[in-house]
Amino acid sequence: MMEEIGFVDVQIGQAADTFGGASGEKNARRFEVYGYPFMARKPA
Amino acid sequence: MSNELPVDPAALREEVKSKYREVASNPHGEFHFHTGRVAAKRLGYDAALVDRMPDAAIESFAGVANPFSLRRLEAGEKVVDAGSGAGFDCFIAAQQVGPGGAVVGIDMLPEMLEKSRATARRLELGQVEFREGLIEKMPVPDRWADVVISNGVINLCADKKQALQEVWRVLKPGGHFQFADIANGKPVPASALSNIDLWTA
Repeated sequence: MMEEIGFVDVQIGQAADTFGGASGEKNARRFEVYGYPFMARKPA
Repeated sequence: MSNELPVDPAALREEVKSKYREVASNPHGEFHFHTGRVAAKRLGYDAALVDRMPDAAIESFAGVANPFSLRRLEAGEKVVDAGSGAGFDCFIAAQQVGPGGAVVGIDMLPEMLEKSRATARRLELGQVEFREGLIEKMPVPDRWADVVISNGVINLCADKKQALQEVWRVLKPGGHFQFADIANGKPVPASALSNIDLWTA
C-alpha cells in the first residue's frame, strides 16, 4: 500500500516483542503479532 | 461505511478514544499492552533519554516499537507526530531536532492534549506544540514536514490508505516517514477483523 501511494525505499527494522508479559500476549502469540519500526521516503 | 473497510471508521474511532482516554487518566491501570517506562525499555528507546524524562512525559506512553531506531532525526528538522498521545515521542523528537527544529504532535483526545501540553510547558520545549486532529485529516499545511513519525496508530485506523495519503500530503518531497506499528505473521479471520471490540483488545 505504501508503494502504491508513492513511497520509496521502504525499510522494516527488527521486531519487538511488544506484548510479551502483558495481558495481550496470548492473542499476540496466536497471530504472531510483533511491533516493527518502518521507514519510507517521499521522492524528492 | 465503505464496502472496502472491515469496520465503520467512526465507530472504531470512538472505541479507540475510550481505550486511550483511560490510558491518559489512569496510566497505571490494567491494559493488554505495556505502558510507561516499562514499554519504552522493552522497545529499545535510548535509556539515557528516557531516564531524563519526568513521569508525566512517559507514564501514558503506549507505543509498539521505536520509530527512531532506523534513523535519528537531524537538527533543525520539522516533525509531525501523527497520534502523539501524551507526547513522549514528541519529547524524544524535540531532543533530536534541537531548539532550531519544530515538532507538532497531533492527537484526537483532549485528555492527551492537555497532558502533553502541560509537560511541554514544564520541560520548556518551545519547539513543540500539540494540535487537535485526526491522522486522516491533520491540521498541517501541505509539504510542511521533513519527517512524519507515528507509533501504534495506523493499525487503529479503519482506512489505512487515507491515513497514509495524508502523511504523503504533509511531507516535503524527500521527507521521511518513520513509524512503528504492529504486524501479524498469521492471518486474522475475517470474523475477527469485522469485530470492532477486538481492534483494541
